Amino acid sequence: MNEEQFLDRLREDARRLRYEADAFMTVRIAARVRERIAAQPPTVSLFLARWLRPIAASMTAVALAACFSIVWFERTSMESATFDTLSADSGIELSYAGDSYRVGQ
Amino acid sequence: MAEVTTASNDDPLESRAIERVKRGDSGAYDYLVSKYTKRVVSIAWNIVRNAADAEDLAQEAFVRAYETIGRFRSNERFGPWIYRIVTNLSLDVLKHRNRFRHEELTTAEPAERRDSADLQATTSEIMDRVDRALESLPEMQRIVARLSLVEGFDHSEIAQMMKLSEGTVRSHLSLARAKLREKLADLYE
Repeated sequence: MNEEQFLDRLREDARRLRYEADAFMTVRIAARVRERIAAQPPTVSLFLARWLRPIAASMTAVALAACFSIVWFERTSMESATFDTLSADSGIELSYAGDSYRVGQ
Repeated sequence: MAEVTTASNDDPLESRAIERVKRGDSGAYDYLVSKYTKRVVSIAWNIVRNAADAEDLAQEAFVRAYETIGRFRSNERFGPWIYRIVTNLSLDVLKHRNRFRHEELTTAEPAERRDSADLQATTSEIMDRVDRALESLPEMQRIVARLSLVEGFDHSEIAQMMKLSEGTVRSHLSLARAKLREKLADLYE
């Protein structure tokens, strides 16, 4: 028997040495894990996940809304300011006999 | 040192469960526990060779994994991670046991830790011989050989689980194979 065949047969037999936990053991482990997880205080990452993430999300939404409002407000006020400036600057200037006359619209 | 595995997860339920646990839904952890319990217990048992200890180690491994799940990437496979945790915990138990034995049993033979009820499957002569041959190996060779031959992990997986280089794993495995071949010569001729 060569090395390869030996290994194949050994693996085949060794695989049967796996420990098979019975149903009682698996249920017991699951129950104990659940119990221990429930009993422990939340970890920092879980605390962050539970509380700070929603709060941060809300604050981000509020900040975004505020930014959009400011931009919108600035744009609209700039438009009216430009109109006023244009209105102020668009006078008519007339010259007659060496004198200048300006008439605003 | 082997790289930490980053193989992507092909089980969408598992990825979803990990994501939910990360968001604080501890109930979603049940899926991961039920999926991996049997394998985790088997790995622990193959190292510590005691059913009660293996059960405690599996439980501890799942709790530790839960506590540090924030560091885990949701698209990675949970299996290699929990196998690594349980292997390390089991190796710690062995270290502790060896120290205890060294102090306690200088005159007496070490107590046989294997529970006769543990080996439900080893009824046949062949399996019993293979089991005894594996048990006769030096500790590291035994653990590496069991993880490879019994649990079916490859070199790189064992290297990650035991925090060893692949070369070291290969070397342990090669020595173990040679010894096993010698011990089981009559069985496999």
